[in-house]
Amino acid sequence: MDNDNKVTTQVIETEVPMGTIHSAALEPYRLRLFVEDEIVRDAELTVGVNHRGIERIMEGLPVEKANSLTEKICGICSNSHIWNSCLVAEKGLEIDVPPRAEYIRIIMEELERLHSHLLYLAHGSEVLGHETFAMRLFYIRETVMELLRMIGGNRVQYGASIIGGVRPRCDLDEMRIQKIIEGMDYVEEKVLDFADRFIRDPMVMSRISGIAAITKEDARRLATTGPSLRATGIGEDLRLDMKQYEPFEFDVITQDTGDVKANLLMRVLEIPESIKIIRQAIKDLPDGKITNRSWEMQDTDIIRSYIEVPRGKLYHSYKIEDGRVRNSIVRTPSITNINTMEFACIGTHITDAQLAIVQCDPCFTCTDRAVQIVDQPFRKNRII
Amino acid sequence: MGLKSYSRARAVHVMLVYTGGCNGCDIEIVNCIFSPKYDAEQYKVFLTWNPREADVLVVTGPVTKHVEEPLKAIYESIPEPKAVVAAGACATMGGVYKNIYGDIPSEEIAGPVDEIIPVAAKIPGCAVRPEDVLSGVVAALPLLLNAK
Amino acid sequence: MDTSMIIISIIAVIGTLIVAFAVSVWLPGIERKFVQARIQQRVGPPISSPGFMAPIKFFFKEAMTPNSPMPRLYNALPLISLIIVVFILLFIMPQMYFLGALASIIAIVGLLKVEEIMYMFMGSLSKSVLSVNMPFPDLVKGAKHVDATRSFIEELSTLRAFRLIAFGSFPLYIALFVPVVMAKSIYIGDIVAFQQLNGPVLFTVAGVIGAIVYFIGFMILLNEYPFAIMKTKADVIEGPLLEYMSKYRAYTYITRGFLIFVLASLFATMFLGTPPNIFSPGILITIAVAIIFPILMAVMSAFSPIFTFRQFYPVVAATSILGVLALVAAFITL
Repeated sequence: MDNDNKVTTQVIETEVPMGTIHSAALEPYRLRLFVEDEIVRDAELTVGVNHRGIERIMEGLPVEKANSLTEKICGICSNSHIWNSCLVAEKGLEIDVPPRAEYIRIIMEELERLHSHLLYLAHGSEVLGHETFAMRLFYIRETVMELLRMIGGNRVQYGASIIGGVRPRCDLDEMRIQKIIEGMDYVEEKVLDFADRFIRDPMVMSRISGIAAITKEDARRLATTGPSLRATGIGEDLRLDMKQYEPFEFDVITQDTGDVKANLLMRVLEIPESIKIIRQAIKDLPDGKITNRSWEMQDTDIIRSYIEVPRGKLYHSYKIEDGRVRNSIVRTPSITNINTMEFACIGTHITDAQLAIVQCDPCFTCTDRAVQIVDQPFRKNRII
Repeated sequence: MGLKSYSRARAVHVMLVYTGGCNGCDIEIVNCIFSPKYDAEQYKVFLTWNPREADVLVVTGPVTKHVEEPLKAIYESIPEPKAVVAAGACATMGGVYKNIYGDIPSEEIAGPVDEIIPVAAKIPGCAVRPEDVLSGVVAALPLLLNAK
Repeated sequence: MDTSMIIISIIAVIGTLIVAFAVSVWLPGIERKFVQARIQQRVGPPISSPGFMAPIKFFFKEAMTPNSPMPRLYNALPLISLIIVVFILLFIMPQMYFLGALASIIAIVGLLKVEEIMYMFMGSLSKSVLSVNMPFPDLVKGAKHVDATRSFIEELSTLRAFRLIAFGSFPLYIALFVPVVMAKSIYIGDIVAFQQLNGPVLFTVAGVIGAIVYFIGFMILLNEYPFAIMKTKADVIEGPLLEYMSKYRAYTYITRGFLIFVLASLFATMFLGTPPNIFSPGILITIAVAIIFPILMAVMSAFSPIFTFRQFYPVVAATSILGVLALVAAFITL
């Protein structure tokens, strides 16, 4: 896309505010579109509505309790948060996690990626105005939700990870393994069917191809992360560097164009990869105990941990003092993707602007925490 | 049951307001309306995004200070009779965000919902299950049906 | 003799209106339950809920003052558009052909235009809580353009309604002129008489193309899903209708159902030669068309996303060209 077109200097006359309660947004945020004849010339996305001050209320909590609280940061990628938070403690206290627990964590994480990506696709279809596709995707997603409920006991906040392993309830027996295998077969078949139907639909394709395209350079400059970055052609996936993922074979999917179509297809194509990882984990599931309880609490420095979650890189850090959490920082992928969303809006029709925001898979409940975004014009610097 | 109550029972328009929860309840509620498995429309429950059309307001989340005024504005623009359903632990009692009791007390939460607007039914759960959402909305119905 | 004729005519008119009303309240339910819910593999609402019980329910709701600079005018608009739709139905009834120029295609096109213009008035008068009026604590924080005029999302709808008036309804009007060309008359009575002599227009080449064009125009006029840019959920939520509540919202519901019926019976009149008349068996054809059209429309809308203007312009242009082809074919076969 023409880059000069995106940077405007003239006075913009009309602002269309949307939100905080709006049909296209699943979450409360305020979007201000600065338009000229229905074409968005500039966009401003104000978060802060969801601000609950999680890191601040985490101060001084016992580590286990703080880990449970991190799960409540987000209802979509809850497992990622609790997993990463446990990883921080495990890294600081030098706890060895039993291999079986690592595998179960990977299974939970990939199931979560499945449900997150399916939700993303369903939300995207809804914003496209395609109710039927949204409903079909929700129907496929239901299988994944049932599997998560079976393993964790709850459909959303399953709380699988604890320090040193996983909860005893989340152990996988024969029956559960069988159900996961069947569920994966079903989801794979249905998703591939859907993908086939989706890319052959000319009306949907004309709505999404070429809309809100982001180039590689822009993506780098805007610090885009996760599948939105991979959709622009940069094959950057933290899972390749994580030791937990070392035993598994999977491909990093990339797309070239960085538009809405590439983003949607990106998620569709990542689903079979996740299923591949789950199958490998089920096949090679090691025996043994699932929790290592022989560890002792001690004071640590600030410990940092990065993992790859459905939306990109997730960062957790805190230090432990007398068994309590201090100086906690959580940095979620959506916080950097906000710039990408604002940038992607520019130059699109208003109806496509919501799509441009959805294409980055926004999760503002993740984003709204104690971090204050210092608003700098993105043309000058990278943010944060 | 007169025509008034009958028609009210046959078409219930539900509006959702997310007030800063974790998205878990929100997506479960959207799920219970959009997923063919739950399909709220078969129980005559329709989703709307317009407060002027709504009968039942489903509120999730602990109501952060930012969203307190919008929530009141939305509530006030719903014509009578109306009922509010608070869904999830946060909406019913503030959830972990209000009651975690760390070193620093929680300052961002204006909720729970019943401190801001009157609540007719409370749905427990973290996150709420779609079945519970449907039964909660149905539990709020007598208030609508018997209103004048 | 004359008085009895007048009485029969009046009974026929009232009877047809009642039939039209009775059919139209079920149409949204049929669309939702039997088509969209089936396509989406779910049970769906009861057939009476969306079109019949929902308006009744709204009649029993509290009528607050809408957020509007002219609340009374705003509330009157759905009633006006309902009356306009009723007039369209009246002018295509055989009992009304003595009205001359009013019972002609020109009057009907004019009334349909007024019906479209209503949305512009509605949009510019509605000031809903969902955009500018939404209280938000820090309005200025980090604003990139402080001086910009803040506009309601309904104003966007108004702009779109204006564009739809400019080009959106072309297909319907072009299609309406296919029977006019074939019958060489703008009077509906002549068009019906022509078809009773020579067979329905639909069974000619020009008629078939014209019917397709008419159908797409019908969907555009009703703002049904691929063409719903004026009230899409992705940005303007419900657009011009946002502030309607209680009985005024019921009127918008009824108007929509009635408009579906009226446009279907207009099709039956212009392309099948059977005007809506309760005393003739032709009313069954009208009702059949009025049920088939929404079903086809629901199938189309269940399988399509919203068109932005990028898709809208080419579709309308292509359909209009098709309509012109139908007109040419009609001229050739004269």
